[in-house]
Amino acid sequence: MSPPEQHALQQQVTLLELVDRVLNKGVVLSGDIVLSVADVDLVYVGLRVLLSSVASIEGERRAPELGSALP
Amino acid sequence: MSAAAPLPEDGPGWYLYGVAAAEEAPTARLESATAVDPQHPVALVVEGTLAGVTSRVSLEEFDEAALPQRLGDAAWVEQKVRAHEQVLEGVLEAASVVPCRFCTVYRTEAELRSFLAERNEELTRALARVAGRVELGVKAFVDRDRFAAGNNAVRELAERVSQAEGGRAYLESRRLEQLIGQELARFGAEVASALDERLRAAAEDGVLVGLQRPEVSGREEEMVFNGAYLVSEKPRFEQELATLAADFRGNGVELELTGPWPPYNFVPAKLGEP
Repeated sequence: MSPPEQHALQQQVTLLELVDRVLNKGVVLSGDIVLSVADVDLVYVGLRVLLSSVASIEGERRAPELGSALP
Repeated sequence: MSAAAPLPEDGPGWYLYGVAAAEEAPTARLESATAVDPQHPVALVVEGTLAGVTSRVSLEEFDEAALPQRLGDAAWVEQKVRAHEQVLEGVLEAASVVPCRFCTVYRTEAELRSFLAERNEELTRALARVAGRVELGVKAFVDRDRFAAGNNAVRELAERVSQAEGGRAYLESRRLEQLIGQELARFGAEVASALDERLRAAAEDGVLVGLQRPEVSGREEEMVFNGAYLVSEKPRFEQELATLAADFRGNGVELELTGPWPPYNFVPAKLGEP
């Protein structure tokens, strides 16, 4: 992987780490607009599309064996 | 309650990033932060002893009906999520903060203020718990190939696989993969429990977070541990982490530290319904 590709991947990874926290943790308030679980799933679907395009930079990757944060 | 006159329904709404103590919350630092809607500045809404960290957002953009489509747009999500985090990190430099979940929006300032007033007690309690503390993330990774090479049971089976032929070779190699997975899971669980015990001792609290697949973690190695810790003495925690990293390195385990994060994992998920 070239340095720019590595950088792009690292950026996405940081984003996912962030998304895991910002979307699934933090206090849920009685706002007028709040996210539902279904909404959160949508974010992951959207990000997965983005992610698969980034992950393909790396070429083939081993299938996961252990647990996962993604649904 | 010092409620302002309610805005018309179609005016901009109020995005709430988090809540801090009014006396601690910085204003100068916030002015330079980029909001989720970059057209509007980040500002504090002070209600009694609490300050809501907010910025105005278009209710068209954050409309509940339109939200599902926006959330499927990774570029939109990325910009908003990063802004949400950066605003909170700015607050965190000067004050403790109770982070809100992404996309908490009030239609009017009056509704936002009445929420802060009604929930003052619970929010103050949540703030007290995280006051002077930060969230740090710790992950542990194991290199699968290195682990397999160092595991006796795996080595024995691998030896037999290398001598097997034809269909049996295929079956044996399947068994080998299974065995590596099992042994790695067992080893990973041991590592996780040992790490968590020692890190908890150096922190105020800790939680285990879901493990991430390699395409999420961005590392080739298997993640065997993912923890979040609420830490008041950061140097002491980092010292313990360095000791642990040295202890576990011989077993092919690598540790990774992230943060400080706003304490997402250490605020109540729900303050309760009004």
